[in-house]
Formats: sequence, structure tokens, C-alpha cells
Amino acid sequence: MTARIVAVLNQKGGVGKTTTSVNLAHALARMGKRVTVIDLDPQSHLAVSLGFVSPATSGIDDVLLGVCSLPERLLSARKNLNLIVAGPRLQEIEQLVEGGARSADLLKKALQHHLLDQDVVVIDCPPSSGLLVANALFAANEILVPMTSDYLALQGLSHLMGTVKKFESVLKKRYKFFLVMSRFVVTRRISKDVLKTLQKYFTGQILATTITETALLAECPSFGKTIFEYRPGCRSARDFTALAKDFLEGKVM
Amino acid sequence: MAEKDESSLIGYDPLAWLQQEADEIQPGLENNETAVEIQFSGSQQPDLPETLIPEKSDPVDADELPELTAANEISDTVETIVLDAVLNIQNVAKLHQRLVEALTCCQKIEIDASAVTVIDTAAMQLLLILKRTAIKDDKEVQIDFPSDKFIEAAQLLGIAEMLEVDQAAAGFF
Repeated sequence: MTARIVAVLNQKGGVGKTTTSVNLAHALARMGKRVTVIDLDPQSHLAVSLGFVSPATSGIDDVLLGVCSLPERLLSARKNLNLIVAGPRLQEIEQLVEGGARSADLLKKALQHHLLDQDVVVIDCPPSSGLLVANALFAANEILVPMTSDYLALQGLSHLMGTVKKFESVLKKRYKFFLVMSRFVVTRRISKDVLKTLQKYFTGQILATTITETALLAECPSFGKTIFEYRPGCRSARDFTALAKDFLEGKVM
Repeated sequence: MAEKDESSLIGYDPLAWLQQEADEIQPGLENNETAVEIQFSGSQQPDLPETLIPEKSDPVDADELPELTAANEISDTVETIVLDAVLNIQNVAKLHQRLVEALTCCQKIEIDASAVTVIDTAAMQLLLILKRTAIKDDKEVQIDFPSDKFIEAAQLLGIAEMLEVDQAAAGFF
């Protein structure tokens, strides 16, 4: 079986990449899917959000630097949910320039012949556009872009689409591409206008469920819990369950 | 290009180039061999189509800015224009006038952007139009010493490559 390898990507910070990665992954795992999340952000926020707080624990950094193989760094985070933490040396990858394009396929090579029993591999990308993101794009066959409903997010998306199209050109492949409306504030007029603009350009590519901005989603990482553990049954938990269904069924706006 | 909804809070539409690209054959796919080299060379900016030239939805009314048209008789001189620290819609008309004059009489315009600390989309729009007009008229416009703020703004608007200031920026894309 071939896993869906999804890069959760947006070069803009604060759009909800990690929140989406953690809670979507856990929602999928709760549905019985076998999921592995890879923390490709040197800030290690994904691991912290799942309760793994030791900054010394090595993970995908060692894998990409060739110290060990990927299965050696798999941690069991929840039922059906594995985690590969970022590791303290991940930032070094960003500075790797020797080898050029070859340095960008480290993750793709690391994933080859591994995680074959998984349904979904989620790669939580850093808010940058360097070599780590290049690695994610080389490895992934799908891109999920969390989008906030503000004007600057549109600007960021324009830049991101340029990057994605370049990769598609170089790699001669088309990504399965989805947007998810994240941190959505229903009461703001600009939220609706941003969504309307996105619908104009991304018809059939915006997942049907919008993730509403809530205080609970901001609170749960500090306890190392997903929204399903922190406040099961709340609005945000229901949002992410619905989003996971959208993701599996390809349900879009 | 989609028409602007007058009541929308989205002014300049940064995604408009996607529509343009969808309307054309994707140019990026025709340049695979060179694109591989570009990918990791540190000069990453999307190939931007001409639709980034603002249309009706942009913050500056095109009618307010007369066309940048070069005169027939020109010299081979080089005109240097030093940009002010603050360039925005309030002073863009003045800059427009200076650029028209320079474009009329010179073959090459060198724009010193080192002092720019604040620049808005109206000023960027003007520089972009200048660049396009110069190319069309077989003239040269060169932006020298762009400040960090200038580069940042150009990158944010996705026009760094077109203004040829992307080389000054660090980073992969």
C-alpha cells in the first residue's frame, strides 16, 4: 500500500500549520487510519503539541543527516499515530548547501521503502522557504495549505503558488492540492471576502470544513494534548473530525 | 480576469496571475531544464505574468497616471533618480512625473532605491509599469542598491524578479 504523503505547508507563519497537522492527524488516527506525523519545523512545535517536550530527542534531523534510518526514530504518540520529532540538529539541514538539488531529496529518499503500512504521512513544514520545505515538496504527493482569512495571507499564498508551480515544473508532477480555511473568524467581513477570492482561483480545492478560531485550539498545545483530548466534543473537535472526513473523501466547498 | 467587486475589502488581488496563467499555456513547463538549475540557486521567484500590472482592482486609478510614453528623439544619456525614503500614494504622482521626463529623454534610467524605508503598492505599481514600458521601448531601467524594505515589498507583491531585485535577496525562493 502507498501512503498519502501530505505536506502541510504555508511559508507564512501563524496560519495554523501545526494546529492543523496535529489535530487532523489525530482525527484521522481516531478514525482508524494509520498516521505518521513528521515534525519538519526546527521549532519542534508539533512534538510539543503532542506532549513530547524534550529538546534533546533526535528525530528527523538524524534521519536526514544520514545518522539512522527513519523507522529508528518513530515514536508512538497515540493509538494509530506515530511521530517523528524534529530533533536539535534539524536547523543544520536548512544550512546545507553542498549538493544543491541533491540535498532537497533527503526526505524523499528516507521515506522510500518505509512507512508502507501507513495510510497517511503528514509533514508539518516550517514557515520558511528553504531546504526543509524543498525536502517536503520533493517527498510529498499532496499539499495541504492552511489559510487564514486575512489579506496578507493572500499575498503569501501568491508566493507559495509560485514555489509550488516551480516544483511541479521541475519534478514533472502535479500535486493534489487542497486549502483549508484555518483560524476563521466568521464575524469579520474580510474573512468572507478572502474566502470568496480563494474560491475564485481554487475551485474544488478548498476543503469543505472551515476551522473556526477558538481559544481552546490555542490552549491545548500547552498541555501537550490534541483538541480531542483537551476538550472532546467541543466545536473545534467537531471541526477537525469533519475536516478529516473531508480530507479522506475529497469533500470540498 | 475577474471583475472587482466594489464592496469587497480585497483591493489589489495578489492571486490574479493564477487566472492569467490558467488562460495561457503554462510557461514554466516549457523551461524544465533551466528551472532545475534555478530551483536551488538562491533566486527563487515565481515567473510572473504581466497581469501583475494592476488592473481595475488596484489601489491607484490608472486614469490618474498618464501613460509612460517615451518620445521619439532621445539621447544615449543615463538619468539617475534617487528614490525618497517614503514612497506612497501621496507622492506617487510626483515620482511619475520624474520618471516620464527621464524616460522621454534618456536611454537608461538608474534608480537608486537604497533610501527606501516605506513603499506602498501604488509606488511599486508605478515602477513595474516603468519597467514594462522601458522594455517595450527598448530602453533600460535598473534598480540599484535596493534597501531591505524595498526588496521585502517587491517580494511580498511577487514582483522582485520582474524588477530584478531578487538577486539581492538571500534565501532559496
